[in-house]
Amino acid sequence: MKISSVIAMAAVLLALVGVALFGPNTAINFLVTALIVALAAQGWNLLGGYCGQFSFGHAAFFGTGAYVTAILQSRYGVNAWIGCGCGILAGAAIGTLIGWLSFRAGLRGSYFALITLAFAEVLRIAANAAPITGGGTGLLLKLDMRAANFQFASRGTFCLIVLACVLAVLALTTWIARTKRGAEFAAVRENEDAARALGIDVLVTKLRAMALSGAITAAAGCLYTQYFLYLDSNIAYGSWISVESLLAVIVGGIATPAGPIIGALALHALGEATRLLAGRITGIDLVLFGLILVAATAFAPKGLAGLWNAAQSRRSPRA
Amino acid sequence: MLTSQSIGRRAALRAAAAVSVLAAPRTLRAQPAAIRIGILQPVTGALAQDGELGRLGATLAIDALNAAGGIKSLGGAKIEMVFADARSSPEAATQEVERLQAEGVSAIVGGFASPICLAASQAASRYDLPYIVDVGVADSIVSRGLTNTFRFAPGFGSFTSVAIANLAALIAASGKPVKTVVLVHEDGLFGAGLAKLMNAELPKIGLEVLETIPHPTPSRDMANVALRIRALNPDLVIPSSYYNEFVLLARTMQQQRIRPKGIYAVLNGAASNYRFVKEFPEAANLVMDCNHWFNPNNPLALTVKKQAEAAGKFMAYNVPLNYSCVGLVADAIERAASPDRAKIIAALNTSTFAGHIMPYNATKFVGGQNQGAIPVNLQVQDGDIKVIFPEAVASAKPIFPVPA
Repeated sequence: MKISSVIAMAAVLLALVGVALFGPNTAINFLVTALIVALAAQGWNLLGGYCGQFSFGHAAFFGTGAYVTAILQSRYGVNAWIGCGCGILAGAAIGTLIGWLSFRAGLRGSYFALITLAFAEVLRIAANAAPITGGGTGLLLKLDMRAANFQFASRGTFCLIVLACVLAVLALTTWIARTKRGAEFAAVRENEDAARALGIDVLVTKLRAMALSGAITAAAGCLYTQYFLYLDSNIAYGSWISVESLLAVIVGGIATPAGPIIGALALHALGEATRLLAGRITGIDLVLFGLILVAATAFAPKGLAGLWNAAQSRRSPRA
Repeated sequence: MLTSQSIGRRAALRAAAAVSVLAAPRTLRAQPAAIRIGILQPVTGALAQDGELGRLGATLAIDALNAAGGIKSLGGAKIEMVFADARSSPEAATQEVERLQAEGVSAIVGGFASPICLAASQAASRYDLPYIVDVGVADSIVSRGLTNTFRFAPGFGSFTSVAIANLAALIAASGKPVKTVVLVHEDGLFGAGLAKLMNAELPKIGLEVLETIPHPTPSRDMANVALRIRALNPDLVIPSSYYNEFVLLARTMQQQRIRPKGIYAVLNGAASNYRFVKEFPEAANLVMDCNHWFNPNNPLALTVKKQAEAAGKFMAYNVPLNYSCVGLVADAIERAASPDRAKIIAALNTSTFAGHIMPYNATKFVGGQNQGAIPVNLQVQDGDIKVIFPEAVASAKPIFPVPA
């Protein structure tokens, strides 16, 4: 990695920690929401970016993590931290299950994307009808601000925890990309048949990616639950999180470790900025947001990370 | 050099003059600091229509209060609205509560949908910021032990028991044999929960449920449901669906000439909506609903209705509810004689506010729920929405069964 990139990343990190420690609550709240989306997007990036399996249904993992955390706490009185652990494991499990069902049937590309969408929708409808999830009225966690409960009186503390999770996954992704597993992911992404010919167990490799991706996105769901303390089927399994997680990766830079984080922060900052700029006309911020998004994807097809890299290589053409 | 200096001096003089002119009114009439109230409504997204109506109600109330001299115990302090868009989602609402907190509001009014109210009131409770729920009917809103949350309107449990009691009274008064019912409901928890409750309660008042027909939201075709109703030929149809689906069902039933003795809705988005009445007067005619409504005998309510119509909007229940909730907060601030949150909460707890435009009994909060709040029964008659129950506030007699 180039020195300038390291400096840029350190500066961003310092700014984020600064906001979490000293920022006003509105800024912290914005950061927490953006970082939770970033975490979900990191999960998507691992499967979609590194392993080449495009999912439209990451809500299935997000929602499972969120619901398992919430149900264990509110119905069975399980400690919040343990609940979150279970939520992450449940995310990995549902990832493996969906992966096994669809990859075993040989679904690839757009067919895989559609089946994941279908799984998320089925879960949404089931959660909307089942009594254990509270159905349409949703689930509410009791406000009880103690660290033992994974609830903090200061929003900054929670923000630091989310930031730590995002950084841990960033390190994990960077590390995986350099290991044999990472090479297997890349091989499967580039050409499944060639990978098989090289002796790679394609099904197991894809399932590994699904489980890991499911766990990471479920962690985002767990954090969401602990922060907002309220869930319903549309929040947990609604298409919004599927769209946001893949949008963040595409805008940030697909198959780059920092892409999802850059994308999520940029998208959310853009959303807030357009809201501030647009002022009083209702809904104009969404129009502006859409226009800027179209322009961004048209002029920076490799995402913001790609734009940064291009600028770097322009400055030192021989590197 | 000389020119530029002289222009600089002139500009400085001009600026000084402007500043003194601007500053003059402040020194002449020392205005007490305005009291800021947060109005949280979903004005973008799926609930935008309702959010706009809620905003209108709050705006009318604040204008009226300021025109009447503001908060008198604070030297006539004006009320300033700080508007926040809940964007039809609980997390956006939470975000906006943080912003309202940063803007230093003394209380928040609104929310509309139950999920938004649940999340926003919880976020506000971190700062002991008084939160007044305008519509959200979920019973869990006031059963969480949050000391900052107040609901002026009735909740779901109250609606279902009143709806069934009034239905029994309606049937008894008609003197006609009404024996059979078909339930049509959306398959989410709102509709399904209501249908389950009806299945348990209706036999107790001597009604037989022939069939319970669920449908998803959104649905684009209600022909099968309508045909099933025709085949079963019930005396009464009880729908619990959202606006579009109910409008579709009512229109299909009208086209197919399916005429039960009555359509009796509970908390139905359409049957108490002027838009439905204006756009499809024949399909809407004589449909009954148990819902929130303003007091038709209150002259102030009729003034607000005229103002809402002058603003190009319909007087849906959101308008009078928000109008009343803002009045409730202003009354609490007036009695607290302070923008201090703890004092406002104390004042809300002892509130006996009577300046509202709802057909409610004396205001009294127990655990955050207004005990005086009551649901009313409505019926579409002659292209207008009339209150038929309770009799004390009724503006028309019920027409039941529907004449053939």
